[in-house]
Amino acid sequence: MKVFLAAFAGAAALIVGAGSVATAQDYPFRDITNVVVWGAGGGTDIINRMIMAEMEEHLPVSINVINQTGGVAGSNGMVYVMNQPDDGYTLAGISESNVTAAVQGGWDQKFDYWYPFVVGGSPDLISVPANSPYGSLKELIDAAKANPGSIPAAASGAGSIHHLNLLALQKGAGAEFKFVPYQGSAAGQEAAMAGEVALVVTSLAEQAALITGGELKPIAMLTAESAEIAGVTVPSAFDTYDGLTTYLPLKQAIGFAVRDTAPDSVKEALTKAFDAAMAGEAVAEWAKANHYDIGGQSGDEAKALFARLESNFAYTLQELGVATIDPATLGIEKP
Amino acid sequence: MDFVLSQFLGFGGAFVALIADPWTYVYMIGSMFLGITFGALPGLTATLAVTILTGFFGNKIPLDYSLIALLGAYVGAIYGGSYPSILLNIPGTAASAATALDGHPLAKAGRGGEALGLTTTASFIGTLIGTFALLIFVGALLLISKNIASPEKALLALFGILLSGALMSEDLVIKGWIAGLIGLAMAMVGLDPLLSEPRFTFGWSYMMSGFQVVPVLMGAFAIPQIIAGMRHVKAGTLLQLSDRILPHFPTIRRYMPAIARSGVIGTGIGALPGVGEDVAGWVSYGVGKTVSKEGDKFGKGSVEGLLSSETANNACIGGALIPLLVLGIPGSPPAAALMGAFMINNVIPGPTLDPAIILRVVAILVLASFTMFLMGLFTARVFIRILRIPQTVFLPVVLILTTIGSFSVGGGINDLYLMLGVGFVAYFMNMLAFPIAPLVIGVILGGMFDEMFRRSLFLSDGDLMVFASRPGAAVLLALNAALIASQLPPVKRAFGRLRKRAA
Repeated sequence: MKVFLAAFAGAAALIVGAGSVATAQDYPFRDITNVVVWGAGGGTDIINRMIMAEMEEHLPVSINVINQTGGVAGSNGMVYVMNQPDDGYTLAGISESNVTAAVQGGWDQKFDYWYPFVVGGSPDLISVPANSPYGSLKELIDAAKANPGSIPAAASGAGSIHHLNLLALQKGAGAEFKFVPYQGSAAGQEAAMAGEVALVVTSLAEQAALITGGELKPIAMLTAESAEIAGVTVPSAFDTYDGLTTYLPLKQAIGFAVRDTAPDSVKEALTKAFDAAMAGEAVAEWAKANHYDIGGQSGDEAKALFARLESNFAYTLQELGVATIDPATLGIEKP
Repeated sequence: MDFVLSQFLGFGGAFVALIADPWTYVYMIGSMFLGITFGALPGLTATLAVTILTGFFGNKIPLDYSLIALLGAYVGAIYGGSYPSILLNIPGTAASAATALDGHPLAKAGRGGEALGLTTTASFIGTLIGTFALLIFVGALLLISKNIASPEKALLALFGILLSGALMSEDLVIKGWIAGLIGLAMAMVGLDPLLSEPRFTFGWSYMMSGFQVVPVLMGAFAIPQIIAGMRHVKAGTLLQLSDRILPHFPTIRRYMPAIARSGVIGTGIGALPGVGEDVAGWVSYGVGKTVSKEGDKFGKGSVEGLLSSETANNACIGGALIPLLVLGIPGSPPAAALMGAFMINNVIPGPTLDPAIILRVVAILVLASFTMFLMGLFTARVFIRILRIPQTVFLPVVLILTTIGSFSVGGGINDLYLMLGVGFVAYFMNMLAFPIAPLVIGVILGGMFDEMFRRSLFLSDGDLMVFASRPGAAVLLALNAALIASQLPPVKRAFGRLRKRAA
């Protein structure tokens, strides 16, 4: 439906444009389409719909958000945007998990194909079921050391940001859990509630409601800072195991991107609207209510951030033996 | 008791506030119309209707109003799927696949108007039952959905596949199971859900995301229907139709127990996280066929069969909202899209949700079911005229709509080849009297079965006892075993003898 609307708008713009060839048209002249590569209702989808609505206030045109899911690590949506002209009228709504699309064979581009904008991400934490015998991270790690590989730990699929956080915790604390992959964070949290697993690693945003409702018990943040939730302070895992700083923090980066080959005027216009939206009250309020940390990076800074994530993810996947393409052949450097 | 009373009082307040606001009707009628249209167009799903409206309204209008639009579209789309099921034998959404089994034979017998009227009533009552459960039985249903883990889900998925296989076969049950196994095999294609290893992809990146349900659904049901329709066109013959759409009250009263039973089943299945309307319709139909006195007429135009699936898929809505609103875990795919709409507006579904929002959702659902009932009786009158259009004109139009539907899920042109491929295979399977529905159910539930079954074994280190040691799993295992055993010749003979003796 929205695609059709956008097509109509595009056709209308062409007709109007033909009538006034003499005037140069400044970007953006017609409506922009943002193609979110993950499903409706997920974190990337919600953040994109939120930030696009805010950016609209600072742009003379509307931005339509659509979802184009499927493929490997969101490759369908990225290929779709790749097949559109790089005039800045088609954006891609992306997250850190898209950096694995290339090494998993979903498409053949290094992530610097994109010129990204980072809205933010939510920090990861470890939680246990409400009736769990483990009250602190130390108890949990000690139990895992006593019986290596026997305590089931939930995180979303192999190679996801939460799985990488779990791996980093294992390396940093010298313990070994039995990693049980789930399709998405919600399913893993559900399993923790049902007592199927002993712990779950997902983001604070995803767990917030369950923690407040007393369904999950938070035991440690996987960031340097502690966090306040439901009147309790969740300590940082770094306080107990300082070896973790070598591997962590490893944080989500959710936002959108335009093709790197887009004209500079497009990048400037988008950056201006993005910066104005990020500085607004609405984004700050939204982030606070949803337990997100604000990013706000764009341009070279955001590119560097994604390059680090790409190299980290790519080589971890190769180590796990699930990368189908050697990252070196794509020109991804070792972390 | 106090809880029930206060819930009703709260609901009353929310309902009055809702119907006193004139804007309510603008959003409700507009979105209901959109929902019914989406449901009625083959391939366009309830999830898509809710997603599009989320994008359209999102945070541009207050949550109170966007909820009216989203829930209206959700209820409308689940109901609207019954139109093409009954009139064309092509399910508009996966949720109404079971509706076609009895709905279409009724339409062929000239009782299409009556069938549409009955589904309208059934959807209306079903929605109310689900909504009532959302208001009152939140606690009990939550307990079920919280204690269900991988082994139960695996067995439930297997039960769904076996059940549809057993129900759908015209001659041999084993044929239904063979079709189910083909579907199960198709569900294995793509990235393996546990270890992300590509399976059966032949190095082709399109195959990595597996087979999408909508193109398979459209290929399996619509394409054979269109080929068969075009092969046997009899020019000038029109179906004789009785124009009565408003159902007879005594009919409804007679089938009230079946409606109530299906409503309860639908609500319960909706409350399970991730299991939605499509499964609800099948399970309710299966239970209906087993317990009903007219069970042998199911599939040949039984009113009770029609009511079983249609009541259950609409009752599922209220059930699916329970884990969403109370735990923040969507109970069905459209509910997941609904969750996004909440979160864009800074409202986090889950234990911290303001109870007033739940009451408003209940009030909106009640109003939506009344709107659906009134609009349904009107739109059914329009839709039934479709049967008067000559098939040579109409079937190509259906093919175009089906193609749009398959394309809409986002896999691109390859999804259309998939639809055509499945369609031709399905056509020949139809000719050999292999039922096609179990194949589709296999594709829908196969992924879930594969993932949950293997995860259960992974957690138990390969010990099969995990499927028998949990109480919920043990019950489901027994049901599966009974279903298979009931089809073995010696058991069948023993039952036959028993029945004869009883008679």
